[in-house]
Amino acid sequence: MQKRSDDRLIAYLDGEVDASARHEIEDWLDSDPAARDKLAALAQSAALVRSAFDEVTHEPLPDRLIAAARGERVSAEPSAKILPFRPGQGTGSAPAARRWWLGLPLAASLFGLLLGGTVTYLSVAKLLPGGIGGKQPAVEMAAADSLWLDNAVGYFKLAASAGDGALVDVPATGDAREAWQKISQSLPQEVRWPDLNLKPWGLNFRGARLVVADGRPAAQLMYTTDNKAIGPLTLIIGSSKEPDTPPTLARRQDVNLLYWRHQGRAYALVGQTDVGYLWGIANDVAWQLDAI
Amino acid sequence: MSIRFGDQLIAVLPRLRRFARGLTGSAVEADDLVQAACERALARQHQFQEGTRFDSWMFRIVQTIWIDQVRSRDVRKDGGDVAEERMGSDEAVRRVEARLALDEVRRAVGRLAPDQRTALLLVTVDGLSYKETAEIVGVPIGTIMSRLARARIALQLQLETGGGMRRSTDNAEAQ
Repeated sequence: MQKRSDDRLIAYLDGEVDASARHEIEDWLDSDPAARDKLAALAQSAALVRSAFDEVTHEPLPDRLIAAARGERVSAEPSAKILPFRPGQGTGSAPAARRWWLGLPLAASLFGLLLGGTVTYLSVAKLLPGGIGGKQPAVEMAAADSLWLDNAVGYFKLAASAGDGALVDVPATGDAREAWQKISQSLPQEVRWPDLNLKPWGLNFRGARLVVADGRPAAQLMYTTDNKAIGPLTLIIGSSKEPDTPPTLARRQDVNLLYWRHQGRAYALVGQTDVGYLWGIANDVAWQLDAI
Repeated sequence: MSIRFGDQLIAVLPRLRRFARGLTGSAVEADDLVQAACERALARQHQFQEGTRFDSWMFRIVQTIWIDQVRSRDVRKDGGDVAEERMGSDEAVRRVEARLALDEVRRAVGRLAPDQRTALLLVTVDGLSYKETAEIVGVPIGTIMSRLARARIALQLQLETGGGMRRSTDNAEAQ
């Protein structure tokens, strides 16, 4: 028999002993209450250590680390300001009409973004794989998608400023099958919506509507959350005949996008949250829709 | 750079950050360390052998850079970021106490010798085997076992003295 020591107990706790040693240690534990107490205390302290550091893995990844992992450089830029959807607005016709009236100047300012999009192609290269002067194919891909992405951002801003419940073809509650069917009929493939009301996102589905991005129909899904670090998000799902592409980051003014193409569909997750959150949420979207 | 390499790197970032946070005791220093490790990994990606564990390779890079830093300067750890929280209810008090207990654990880990801390973080926090840890650190398995044992005993003594374990137990019972 090997000597009875703390090392042995710890190795036992870590599952690092072979079968014969395990039996010896278990016999020892059966006969020695002090050893059992010791083992319990060691297990407790190990659990505490894990808890103490576990929260780090749930934090959003800083932009600079994602950029470093992709071989890019990110300039120090202030974090995006989170725009909340306007809370507490009813669905009655009079408030809605007032909201639309007040929103006209904003809609006008977004008009160019939605239809043109050529002027606002600002800083895609900064966040693309390879960065400026880096991977040319990625930059070309971004340029080709530029209008579609501009439209996605425009629709995000419109939804964020229009308020909760506005601009919705498919409401979050009630029987929405018919409305979904209409949207799906406008697209080459059926549209489903991912449930993002999970920890840690807590994103509530607020509705969806049919939009036109780069001249093609697309579904815009809207989400809100009480998590101020995330803010409102929209997911655009459209069709694409282009080859599949991996998730790629882009930025338009103060809005971040994570976009990709998969099996005839184009996706863009749009919001003003950190890109670390976008990556995590996109993973959930991809998993639920099998999109990546 | 291959996209696959960058994607692998992004996938392992949360664990690298956790490891680095444990090593440095500081969020900012930890992210600096991970960033430096990413840059070194990209510069030396040709040295990574396909078929071997990418995460182990990255842990080794983080650990190597950190050891270099420890040797070249006196690494000072901050006392941990314990945000103030209003105490208006039992729940708030429990949350503060739980946070204090975990902060005490982090400080206790920070007081361990660097080689013990490394073994503890890789085995106990990240769940790597002794063999994998020995390969990352570049020492025999027996050395990892003894470092780990010293770390666990020292940690337990510190927590018992500081009351972290008692507070944690109280919190667990209260919930």
